Amino acid sequence: MNRTVKLILIVNLAIIAVLVFAFADLMVSPGRLIYDHRASETDCFACHTAFLGASSEKCIACHKVAEIGVVTTKGTPVVNKKTKVPFHQKLLDQDCIACHSDHLGVAKYRLNQKFSHRLVATSIREECVGCHQRPTDPIHRQISDKCSQCHGTDKWKPATFDHDKFFVLDRDHDVKCAACHTTADYKKYTCYECHEHSPGKIREAHEEEGIRDYENCIACHRSADEDEAKRAWESLKRGIPYQFGPPSTEKDKRRRKKPDEDDD
Amino acid sequence: MDGSLFRLKVLPFLGYFVVLMALAILGDFALHQFDLVWVGRYLGIPGTLLIPLSLIYSLRKRKIIRSGNPRLLLRMHEIFTWLGTLMILVHAGVHFNAILPWLALIAMLINVISGMTGRYLLDRSRRHLTGMHEKYSMRGLSKIEAEKELFWDAVTFDLMEKWRSVHFPISFAFAVLAVGHIVSIFLFWGWK
Repeated sequence: MNRTVKLILIVNLAIIAVLVFAFADLMVSPGRLIYDHRASETDCFACHTAFLGASSEKCIACHKVAEIGVVTTKGTPVVNKKTKVPFHQKLLDQDCIACHSDHLGVAKYRLNQKFSHRLVATSIREECVGCHQRPTDPIHRQISDKCSQCHGTDKWKPATFDHDKFFVLDRDHDVKCAACHTTADYKKYTCYECHEHSPGKIREAHEEEGIRDYENCIACHRSADEDEAKRAWESLKRGIPYQFGPPSTEKDKRRRKKPDEDDD
Repeated sequence: MDGSLFRLKVLPFLGYFVVLMALAILGDFALHQFDLVWVGRYLGIPGTLLIPLSLIYSLRKRKIIRSGNPRLLLRMHEIFTWLGTLMILVHAGVHFNAILPWLALIAMLINVISGMTGRYLLDRSRRHLTGMHEKYSMRGLSKIEAEKELFWDAVTFDLMEKWRSVHFPISFAFAVLAVGHIVSIFLFWGWK
């Protein structure tokens, strides 16, 4: 490398080095900051600690935890509160970076990260409607119990509600909800709407067995397994509550898992 | 210009470079398709590690180290720089944020092109030019007439030779810019 090339190279690199320090926001910053942080655009260490990254301590220096969602950093009361519960104040750990990021260039990587409900104190975690809108569909309108009965905190769908605990929807019962739940109250159901289960046939079949009280079908029938229903009836007849468990027999498992297979 | 040197030597070389760029674009596209953008973010680390590893050849060539089969080290130099470049290109994606990493990326690409020029083109082109000279002299053409016939080939060759001389200074520039980018990452990144 001759002297002229060396000189040109060193001068250019020196200019770049000066530019890095003079215009760090353009030279090394991964994209613009959010509008409200624009005043810190040229002061990287307002949020970053050298070699440790952006730190929660620096966030909290401006955003006092007790004031988040209550007043702005300028002391103005927050009018349109996003949550009904003191959300940030009830976090188990003040780890701002776990959920928040800023630079535009980094924001897309945040899409892969999800807010973990485990960061929130249990009392707040169970108050889902404090942060989330209650669904307005017919199923959810009438439910006042905890959402965690049917839904997990990782994702809303699929719901973790286990219909099998009440009745196994096997191949013979692969029907729309409204086939059995004819009203908006999903706690109520009917087995009579199906052609197989006409009131006449049901009465006849049960009376043959000497069963008079057969209106509450799921007291004995939790699946299409007639043997299980008989065992449940025998148990109830003796006044002993029957323990319906998960599919136990091979036949039972096959019926639930392989709808195409003939189980007879 | 009959274009033979350009067509026979330069174009295949350009094709080799185009494959590198196409694979980089394809890799980036695949990562976006499968929602694995974060993988690209970390590909910068192995990519950067491969490039200094490839420099063993440069040290051997300049006799700074004296052991190692030069032929094998050259092959390693080519493979490692090619793979490292590919990883860094995928790592960069098409994310236009800070200027410093982009300068480093441009320096890296110029570096790769100048390196490939030396490896693939110069030797072959020199042989091609000598062969053509011999061919014309056998046909009874005078030296001046042969030079006239091979004017554009000679111009192409001279240009390539000049391009080759860019390799070392641009390697140095690339190293400085890449170190600047890496230092800035270490300085501001939250390693959690």
